[in-house]
Amino acid sequence: MPELPARNGGYQVQDEESLVQRAKQRDEAAFAQLYEEYFDKIYRYVTIRIGDKMEAEDMTQQVFLNAIKAISSFKWKGVPFSAWLFRIAHNQVVDYLRKSKKRVSVRLEESLVASDSDPQGIFERKLNIERLISATKKLTPAQQEVISLRFAGEMSVAQVAKVMGRSEGAIKALQHSAVVALRRVLSVP
Amino acid sequence: MKKNSQFENILDECLERLIKGQTVAQCLESYPEQALELEPLLRTAQATREAAAITPRADFKARARYEFRSALHAEVSQKTRSLSALRRGWVVALMVIGILLVSGGGVALAAGNSMPDSPLYRAKLAIEQVQLDLTPSALGKAQLCADLADRRVAEIVYLADKGDAQQVEVATQRLDERLTALVGLVSTEGVETVPVEEAPRLLTEEPAMAPPSPSEAIEPVPVSPTETTTEVAAGTTTPLPPTEATPPPAAEDLDTATWDVSTKNGDRADLKVKIATDAATHLEALQSVLEKASPSVQSALHQAIIVSENGYRKALAALD
Repeated sequence: MPELPARNGGYQVQDEESLVQRAKQRDEAAFAQLYEEYFDKIYRYVTIRIGDKMEAEDMTQQVFLNAIKAISSFKWKGVPFSAWLFRIAHNQVVDYLRKSKKRVSVRLEESLVASDSDPQGIFERKLNIERLISATKKLTPAQQEVISLRFAGEMSVAQVAKVMGRSEGAIKALQHSAVVALRRVLSVP
Repeated sequence: MKKNSQFENILDECLERLIKGQTVAQCLESYPEQALELEPLLRTAQATREAAAITPRADFKARARYEFRSALHAEVSQKTRSLSALRRGWVVALMVIGILLVSGGGVALAAGNSMPDSPLYRAKLAIEQVQLDLTPSALGKAQLCADLADRRVAEIVYLADKGDAQQVEVATQRLDERLTALVGLVSTEGVETVPVEEAPRLLTEEPAMAPPSPSEAIEPVPVSPTETTTEVAAGTTTPLPPTEATPPPAAEDLDTATWDVSTKNGDRADLKVKIATDAATHLEALQSVLEKASPSVQSALHQAIIVSENGYRKALAALD
């Protein structure tokens, strides 16, 4: 079987800008490639932010459905597609948290966890995910956002800066304070 | 202040290096003076990255992909079902659409995402057939066959979850038919000559799945995404995209153009990427559902996996 395209590591067939331009012209294949590239990242970001698997699944789907509707309004003027897409996800997360007004569920099923045949490993990983979600809720909203985008969304500082509308320097400072705060929270038994 | 900024830059550089696979120790070696302060932060960041490495369920991904592609196709179809079709002499197509519109668009919306145990499923298959018939180029038909194979896999996952082995087998047969048609369409010697007549066969071979009569027929428009006013970039309300019709072909080309929106920009390389991606994700989805399936459906799922692997392997080989 021919080599499969890279997954989560980026498609090398065409550069992203070209794909986005084609997606804007209603090219289904191009949009489908963008979808494959970002689906897992958006899902991770949303899950870490809201901590509810079922809601995260629904919301991830909705992010891409909204992207289909809005893609024609996207303009490639210094704002990468990733930042635009994560901004859609961010707004949906904010909307959800505002509406739900309830404590974030941290129950995560084992199916969420990356494959691991070692039961003890699964248990430890599960605890880490739960603790991570709980811990991030004790950070400021901006710190939560930078942790989620940087570590779950796998975005660079430059991309995070675009999503959050801040300078790269400000994001680096925020990232520093977020990691310090996270360590402090996680250190408390 | 400057010292803080310097440390933030070092921390960021180390985080990038961790992302690229370096170890905490390697980062610390580069910055021995800051190691004491850096190490706990890097270890926290590393643990955070590992904890965040969650993956969505394979069956959810299969379902989500199917719904995304349905919505995308509906959006594209909506934008391009226009006068350009008239100018290309698609009189028959428009008549069919007209009949379908008159006879119940609401049903079509519901049918778009229906599953094989739904009364609307026959309508869904009939709609798919109309879509295939209306797609002019071989490459466009191949693209659609790939989309339909994607739907069949989502249906297999759904039916396996329900423990319905018999219907899994039926859906697997449909998957096989779609993939066989796909292979024929993308084969070098068959690109412009292979009509997709396989699809009617699946309708006629199964009385229970016979296409509806014209009076029962419905609009061939898949379900569009839920209308919402979710905020998007810059905090504004999501605007519906303007009706930006894809440019029609030149008048002099109308007789010969194999004009099809879904493939006009997508060449064989695009289709190959899509098929390769589908091959991997479908296998993943089917194996995932197999792991938790009841013994009664495992045999049928094994068959589905074989059909999927063989079909996509042939399609990819044909595209080489």
